[in-house]
Amino acid sequence: MSQRRYALDFLDRLDQRIIYLFVALAVGIPLISGYSLPPTRMSTAQAFFDQIEKLSSTKDKLVLISADWGPGGVAENRPQTEVAVEHLLRRRIPFAMISTYALATPFLESVPREVIARIELEEPQQKWTYGVDWVNLGYRPNGFLMIQGLAKSQDLHKVLEVDANGLQMGDIPLMAKVRTIRDVGLFIQITGLVGVLNSWIQYFQTQDYRPPFVHGCTSITIPEAYNFFASSQIVGLFEGVAGAASYELLLNSAFPNRKPGEAVRNNTSIAVAQMLIIALIILGNVGSMTRWLTDRLRPSEPLS
Amino acid sequence: MSVAPLSYEWWSIVLAGLCSLAIFSFLIRENAFYRFFEHLFIGIATSITIMMTVKTFIWPRMVKPLFDLDRLPFPDGTFAEPYNNLNLLLLMPMAFGSLYYFILSHRFAWLAQLVIGFSLGVAGGFAFEGTFNEIIPQIVDSFRTLYTPGVDLTTTEGFFAGIANIVFTFTLLASLSYFFFTFKRTDGSLVERSSHAGRWMMMCCFGAFFGSTIAARMALLVERLDFLLNTWSCTLFPFISICTG
Repeated sequence: MSQRRYALDFLDRLDQRIIYLFVALAVGIPLISGYSLPPTRMSTAQAFFDQIEKLSSTKDKLVLISADWGPGGVAENRPQTEVAVEHLLRRRIPFAMISTYALATPFLESVPREVIARIELEEPQQKWTYGVDWVNLGYRPNGFLMIQGLAKSQDLHKVLEVDANGLQMGDIPLMAKVRTIRDVGLFIQITGLVGVLNSWIQYFQTQDYRPPFVHGCTSITIPEAYNFFASSQIVGLFEGVAGAASYELLLNSAFPNRKPGEAVRNNTSIAVAQMLIIALIILGNVGSMTRWLTDRLRPSEPLS
Repeated sequence: MSVAPLSYEWWSIVLAGLCSLAIFSFLIRENAFYRFFEHLFIGIATSITIMMTVKTFIWPRMVKPLFDLDRLPFPDGTFAEPYNNLNLLLLMPMAFGSLYYFILSHRFAWLAQLVIGFSLGVAGGFAFEGTFNEIIPQIVDSFRTLYTPGVDLTTTEGFFAGIANIVFTFTLLASLSYFFFTFKRTDGSLVERSSHAGRWMMMCCFGAFFGSTIAARMALLVERLDFLLNTWSCTLFPFISICTG
């Protein structure tokens, strides 16, 4: 017995590989052509920006960046780290890179160096020096135990001992005045891993001091991150690539000579792909609706 | 971007592209090529974690002080300071932690349980402090006034700011009421209706989670396609128009 045929039946039987092909085209064409749509301005990214703008560049306090992302976070966390690092470098605010995630190790060094190389091309009269403007504290194992050690230490030089390149803390000019958590003026935590932000929020504080927290998350963890943003446990937020793209707009406004980065272009590709997915969901439902309507209008038609 | 052919960087990019294509081959069908690279990635990620832990913690913090490898000798073989005997105390936690490996023995598995029990106790104690630090501010923030003073309800922004706390409080109470399982619910009762509303609210939340998951997956795809189209292809075929343009 053959099944009843419907007008838009092919939509139900569409091969998944055709959908993959359409998605690849939707993503690939903006990437190749370089076409980009302006990103939405986000209040969360603006709040992140304002926190860095509030900081003084007197080098009394340090910004600690915990980049807890690896190769799986390159798509979203890397652009976020890049724009945050760029903003700090341009404002000459000293910062330290650290991570509790082993696979982040190469990025702790490469991201600041690549950003510095790019902005030194734009501003050849300026130089940024390792140990003076930034430092790489490297991967630190033992998760929340290490975080507690950092928070409760009376001498961070003893806890950290050396940087990622084996340089003693005492030999790094940037770390000369940094002794306790009170010398951390802002804490930036960027990750797509579940539970890492929670560990920092839970343990990176003392009874009487907690640095302001800002956070960069992947799209998948935005709903969870909003809990912390709503309760002011974090005071700035990057929402996936869109957050980084929105931040690029703010950087472009603050530094008019800046060349646009890649976050805006990648954000355009994601937007086009998402529009395609919405269109495919609607089309799929049109197919189902047609089937339902056909059955309702011609219920007695014999099966052919 | 120009990379010298057959240089270390050139091989890195070419191999990375082949690995990505191997993983993408799963989209066509399950195949041995995909399986091989999947297991390769898992192995590499695990070995990097082990090696980084040894390099950044076990070697400099445990082995070097214990075996006196961190003191530089003078040319005559003497040292500026004597060996710190307190370093030997490191042996105690090392020995205790090593008992964990008895989990592989049927006869002495109880020794591993000592370590597990100790770890659970420590983690429980820390979690007690951590949970309070994380949750209490969120509970405090949940007590919001329904009326937001100083908001101009006649403007669009003001209107949404004005009703934000009402929506939040309604969603919170409705979602909480869904989890009241301690007394009998009757059809049409306030709790029953509120629980239904809570279920709808949670469905909206799950929809947001699902949508953000798709956005995250798309971001991963964009990054890989960007690499394949703009870096990998331009490294292999620098003469094509998108690379020369």
